[in-house]
Amino acid sequence: MIKIDSVTKAFSQKKIIDKLSLEVQPNEILSLLGPNGCGKTTLLNLISGLARQDSGNIYIDGELVSGEANGKKIHLNPSERKIGYVFQSVSLFPHMRVQDNVAYGLKAMHLPKEEVKKRTEQLLDFVGMLEHAKFYPSQLSGGQKQRVALARSLATEPQVLLLDEPVSAVDPQLRESFRLELKNYLRKLDMTVIYVTHNLSEAFVMSDRIAVMGNGCVEQIGSGQEIFDKPASRYVAGFLGINSFKGKAVNIEEGFLVVEAYDKRILARAASDLAGRKVVLTLKPEDIVLLKATDSLPIGKGENSVTGAISEMIQMRSTAQVTIDAGFTLKARISLNRIKQIGLSVGDKVQVCFNADSINVFADEDN
Amino acid sequence: MKRSRTTSVSNKAVLTIMALIVLTYFLFVAVPIVAVFLQLQPSQVNAQLHDSTVLDAIKLSLYTSAIATIIVFVLTVPSAYFMATRKFPGKAIIDTIIDLPIVLPPAVAGVALLYAFAPKGLLGPILNSLNITIPGYTIAVVIAEAFVASPFLLRSAKTGFEGMDKDVLNSARILDGSRLRVFFKVSLPLAIRAITSGTMMSWARAMGEFGATLMFAGNLPGITTTMPLAIYSLIYSTTPQLGLTLSIILIVISFTVLILIKLLEQNRFGAKK
Repeated sequence: MIKIDSVTKAFSQKKIIDKLSLEVQPNEILSLLGPNGCGKTTLLNLISGLARQDSGNIYIDGELVSGEANGKKIHLNPSERKIGYVFQSVSLFPHMRVQDNVAYGLKAMHLPKEEVKKRTEQLLDFVGMLEHAKFYPSQLSGGQKQRVALARSLATEPQVLLLDEPVSAVDPQLRESFRLELKNYLRKLDMTVIYVTHNLSEAFVMSDRIAVMGNGCVEQIGSGQEIFDKPASRYVAGFLGINSFKGKAVNIEEGFLVVEAYDKRILARAASDLAGRKVVLTLKPEDIVLLKATDSLPIGKGENSVTGAISEMIQMRSTAQVTIDAGFTLKARISLNRIKQIGLSVGDKVQVCFNADSINVFADEDN
Repeated sequence: MKRSRTTSVSNKAVLTIMALIVLTYFLFVAVPIVAVFLQLQPSQVNAQLHDSTVLDAIKLSLYTSAIATIIVFVLTVPSAYFMATRKFPGKAIIDTIIDLPIVLPPAVAGVALLYAFAPKGLLGPILNSLNITIPGYTIAVVIAEAFVASPFLLRSAKTGFEGMDKDVLNSARILDGSRLRVFFKVSLPLAIRAITSGTMMSWARAMGEFGATLMFAGNLPGITTTMPLAIYSLIYSTTPQLGLTLSIILIVISFTVLILIKLLEQNRFGAKK
């Protein structure tokens, strides 16, 4: 449905998008996930035609909407691309009532008055805003405004819907419920959606696939579970809050890849062709179990245990993020109950335990 | 405790000094205006409104300032939109030149207009070939007023257009391929308050224009003698009360325009349920 082919865009000679290629399937909800400033919004603006790339081609539904074909440059106007766009900020027309905001695109299509009225009501009904039809945007809450913005963007029956962090305009305490509402609408729509967010859990909830953006390109694309279980680079692991460290794969022992990292011997379940190569290991904070250094540990097959000292403990609602210095830094997410149970505090020596199956290994491309 | 009492006393002293400065400044502005009003009784003002000199000046001022404001509106609003939304080479220079009439002494503006539009001026040969003479005619008043008043609307409209939310405009561009419709339906309404207050400021400036009009158009009763020029002529004549009447009218107009602009600034979209 959408094909982005080696697109580059620079601002003041700084490349924001660098030879980025990406394909979005029909009726797929794809999240663009990445930190602020990584080029997510720029990519949406290129797809929508609000900005023009320096090189590369963009196709929507097989049609070249921006780029070069047979030596001829093409750049369709935003209104010609059959896209809907919900912006991060509330972008409703402040001087128009809710119904006029939604009807704006329909009137621009020169539809008969009755048709405009009927479709406006249908769209407002779809987003549950029919009874607010005569309100001005200033009289609505953040969530209501974004629902109207969604209805307005759907008015012209776009093939593709672009959503740029639509939840961020909603009051923090209402974001969770709005997120679920929005997911519900998107599932009903059954259309191709690109959803920009820097929030990991939001990307998980909303999308079929996630494309993690960094350094101007797509670092990894896959389902949320795939990306979380097997981050493909240290950048992705770092962005997702997953531990990553370097090591050298030494050999295979009893079906496990033996990796030496910072003088520790770590077993991992990984392909044997990595043996002898420099590798990167990733480990989710949730997969770590902490024991007191003095506790006896029944080491099972494929179990890893390294010793270290707690250097920091950040308490959250029901868990704590525990940073351990084991010669390299590891972060573990431990329940507060567990911390209380074994009596952990900063400075304590601990055994860091994790299973070989929870280790993800890939070749270190930097070396 | 002692320190906090000392601080409190010094804060009160600062506030008192500031209040005195504000009062002095207020009186500095208000006293001359009040002085004008004290010269005439309301009944005298009413009576002098029927004087032909006063009436002619009022009519001419209203007529020329209205035409000048329309010309300014047509020329500056699209210019302001273009300047606010586009980048182009030499923009800073053009921006500075069109601002010039704000700081230019009115007499200099009049001289500049003379050397541009007079029969021997820069555009003189063209105007002569078309049998058009400008100085000494009402059109010269309109040109002088438009020249000095235009930057007020341009500045205000430009600020209004620059303040538009880009995402709101982009939403319109995605929904609607017609730039003209986006301008009239979205951009213009978004900047309307700035444009309206700029228009009122421009009109008030045109109404009060004196120096450039005198230099460029001259002081010909019924043709180029606007209210400020009539005040100048009458205040040193045997009937200064006529000049005072015109002055009172101009003060009331200026005050009303400022009040309207303030009310406009307080208005917000969607304030009504």
